[in-house]
Amino acid sequence: MNQTNDSAAKLRRVRHPERVILFFVSNQMFAIAAEAVQEIRSTDSLAGAAAEIENSALPKVRHTIERGRHTFYVVNGCMHFGLPVTRPTLVLILRQLRVVVLVDRIDRMAEIPAVYSLPAAFEGDERRWYRGLAYLDDTVIPVIDPSGFLAASEFQQLDRAAKAAAAATDSELEGAVQA
Amino acid sequence: MSMSETTGQPSFVIMQIGKRHFALPSDIVVELAPPVRLHRFPHTSPLLAGVIVRRGRIVPVYDAASVLVGNSAFTQRFYLIARRRPGKSADFGAIPVNGECELASGEVLAPAPDRPVYVTGSLAFNDELIDVLDFSALAALNAPSGSQPRSAEIPS
Repeated sequence: MNQTNDSAAKLRRVRHPERVILFFVSNQMFAIAAEAVQEIRSTDSLAGAAAEIENSALPKVRHTIERGRHTFYVVNGCMHFGLPVTRPTLVLILRQLRVVVLVDRIDRMAEIPAVYSLPAAFEGDERRWYRGLAYLDDTVIPVIDPSGFLAASEFQQLDRAAKAAAAATDSELEGAVQA
Repeated sequence: MSMSETTGQPSFVIMQIGKRHFALPSDIVVELAPPVRLHRFPHTSPLLAGVIVRRGRIVPVYDAASVLVGNSAFTQRFYLIARRRPGKSADFGAIPVNGECELASGEVLAPAPDRPVYVTGSLAFNDELIDVLDFSALAALNAPSGSQPRSAEIPS
């Protein structure tokens, strides 16, 4: 075992404290950087603005929301993490990503002293889901990587489907006007 | 001074998982930890049960019982923390064990041809032949095979 591998295997910490939002999805607590969240709203307040995606290729994305001439995709947090599906009451509208995440509830804002890297033993999708782990109040909390909610290929897939749906709606309207 | 230096034979830590005993080379064993809190969160690595925090480190916990004895009993009394690779690697993993561990030394017999890849040999211990485990080979079974998150299967 050489020194490089040794140091790679050690826990790495981002040593500056960070403000996070602690939230629950299906009774599981997660942390997300406060600066990654643009807005928190109730699902009720978005009910009129959300459009349903018919036959979505991604089961975790069933709705879109138009904001500032951009289409945001609504990701069900339970389905994303493979947790039992609950009835979400809040949405996190992410900053710099066209993603809205359905969550159960917000616990609180907190400052975490460090983000520990995910142990190398974790080899699955969780490497995409999490930036690392936080240790707060004797609890290990996964720290979300916002870009892990939808991969670039998933955005492309959803954008293509949204474009096709919009084109179909336009042609239906055209047909109705001609009739 | 280790037992291997005393007797000239390799030494092993004997652990009890379920009702069976298994041996791990003593040079990869870091410590036997008390049953501290197991922290679970969603993931798709099939052999991992969660993590424990021990001496300022976050240590992944392998549900070795599910592979070695066919069930996943979390009624363990201790966690055996070991390096996944020999040497001074800090790549630790913990295995829940049911009873006290013992140190033993002896000659390792070649494994029977039908033994799994993570069994590197057999060791005579208290009138029985027990499997000597290769922790890194056992941990390699952890490669995700599906997309069903583990935490959805085991309630916390």
